[in-house]
Amino acid sequence: MDIKSIVKTDRLYWLGRYLERVYTTLLLFEKSFDKMIERAAEYEKFCESFEIPNVYSDAEDFLYRYPFDENNPDSLRTNLRRAYDNAIELREEIGSEALAYVQLTVYAMSRAAESPAPMGEFQKITDNILAFWGCIDDLIEDENTRNLLKVGKRVERIDLYGRLHMPKPDLVREIHRLSGRIPRCSIHYRPEVIVRLNELADAAEPDYPTIVYEVDRILG
Amino acid sequence: MGTMDLYERTEVINEWLARYGVKFGIYKNNTFKEQLFPFDAIPRILGAEEFAVLEKGLKQRVRALNLFLKDIYGAKKILLDKVIPEEFIYSSSGYTVQCEGVCPPKDVFSHISGIDLVQGKDGEWYILEDNLRVPSGASYPVIARELCRRSSPKTFRENRIEDNRNYAELLSHVMDYVNTGGISVVLTPGRYNAAYFEHSFLAERMHVPLVEYDDLIVENAHLYFIDYSGKKVPVGAVYRRISDEYLDPMNFNPESVIGIPHIYDVYRKGNVALINAPGNGIADDKGIYYFVPKMIRYYLGEEPILKNAPTYLPFYEEDRKYTLEHFDRLVWKDVAEAGGYGVQFGSGMSAEQKEKFIATLMRCPRRFIAQEVIDFCDLDIFEKGERVPRKADLRAFVLTSEEPVVWKSGLTRFSRNPDSFIVNSSQGGGFKDTWILSQS
Repeated sequence: MDIKSIVKTDRLYWLGRYLERVYTTLLLFEKSFDKMIERAAEYEKFCESFEIPNVYSDAEDFLYRYPFDENNPDSLRTNLRRAYDNAIELREEIGSEALAYVQLTVYAMSRAAESPAPMGEFQKITDNILAFWGCIDDLIEDENTRNLLKVGKRVERIDLYGRLHMPKPDLVREIHRLSGRIPRCSIHYRPEVIVRLNELADAAEPDYPTIVYEVDRILG
Repeated sequence: MGTMDLYERTEVINEWLARYGVKFGIYKNNTFKEQLFPFDAIPRILGAEEFAVLEKGLKQRVRALNLFLKDIYGAKKILLDKVIPEEFIYSSSGYTVQCEGVCPPKDVFSHISGIDLVQGKDGEWYILEDNLRVPSGASYPVIARELCRRSSPKTFRENRIEDNRNYAELLSHVMDYVNTGGISVVLTPGRYNAAYFEHSFLAERMHVPLVEYDDLIVENAHLYFIDYSGKKVPVGAVYRRISDEYLDPMNFNPESVIGIPHIYDVYRKGNVALINAPGNGIADDKGIYYFVPKMIRYYLGEEPILKNAPTYLPFYEEDRKYTLEHFDRLVWKDVAEAGGYGVQFGSGMSAEQKEKFIATLMRCPRRFIAQEVIDFCDLDIFEKGERVPRKADLRAFVLTSEEPVVWKSGLTRFSRNPDSFIVNSSQGGGFKDTWILSQS
């Protein structure tokens, strides 16, 4: 839709962010899940990387409690709920087809919480998030709508990559993608942050805390 | 009719409906919950000739109701001619004094009328209720039809069924017809409204913004939508899914936090169309329903084509005497309630409940109507792999622009409880598609 309120603009941005948060967290959770088979303490590292308070008694407790805890603001389920809360108010913007993929992730999360082997359902969450992005590219004609969603996704990815100290090429790629995308949408942002992020991307070694600090203030 | 193919796919269609978030909201113990609206794939089927009679009767009824609304907030001839007692209007909670002397764009009051009917076992159709405020439910058969076609193309290839997927187009036409200049929008109270799915679905299908109170502003007697850059875009038509009471805190309930201050003033000046018009509540008052056949004769000079369910008004002494004598065989309705609430069967009340009810009735006879219990047709539904009969009604939708148009479908709601006549979704009911055959 070419006419958009500020609330819908904001919701599109945050839908992109929360879906990305779930997606990347889930990918890393799956990797950590595997490592925890041999090294139980791996979960502590995961908590530390994501700044999740370690309130778990052991790896088993973490694996079956953290993803589904509705009272934990950092859990996968809470972040997915936030994505859904934005998506449900965007049907006329993103279309029923794209919204359906967010709905499917919510169903998969509920099934995962009931399952003794939740990884199978987690895979469906990942699949549906990827399908959502495919649907956005394929079915949404309004470029501004697509760009708002993708700016949210890029900002979240840079934030997560910075916190997780991901390799420099990954960070640089995301900063370049954001720099190209953000001027093409209707969101109010700070151009000087984009300049600064690109300077940081050019440095020999990534200054992770500064990158996180800068990207978090991009909307002012 | 070769439809088994479709019936066997009920489960698949319900899975699809879940995928698309076809839900309604419900408050239980002060907690909001979203529930799926159970769909049964066995459709209600109306033949072309049968529908033609309904169509004619529904158009007639809606024409009369529109003329009534214009009259009641204008010249009041129907009161002067004593067709409807004056006190019956002014004691109605639906009568809205703020609407006195106000005429909507193009004189259309009820742009969307949801008329509830049941079919008696004798084949006769009876009108149960007129819903002229914000009737909901059209979106459900639209999406169900799309999914039924997807799951069983053979059924739709082999049967000549009127396409019902044009509802959003019909609604767009109505909005364009009354639009005073500017964009059209759908105004929702928000996602915690019971019918939020429908609000968002219709906005999507009509390609118009779905807005909330804080997206709209009144300035210089005009209504504007504020976009992300602060630009004010004129609005010419609002399909509002907010009741009159909450629409405008400056003109109606001052405590409303979901309304738009002064939107009613803009409407009064003819600078925006509100769909449906404020004040329509008087016409869908269950007490006024009694008078609709009289309205048809009065305004149109015609005999009503469709019958009301036999109805009594305890407000009148004669009717009160009759209804008290036949209390147990009647169904009692509180005129202030909707959604299946406030409906009680005389036969289902305990002695204590009956005594209490009669005491209230004697204190406020205007508050209730009594109707003969119509032994209406059951429709089969699939339950646990078997066909079982259940009570079902039909909500027909009449959209009015230049002329009333009856949408060639409707929402068929059924009770899932074998002992219940209550079909409302809020009370656990399900829904069916309604097929109109395009030839006999």
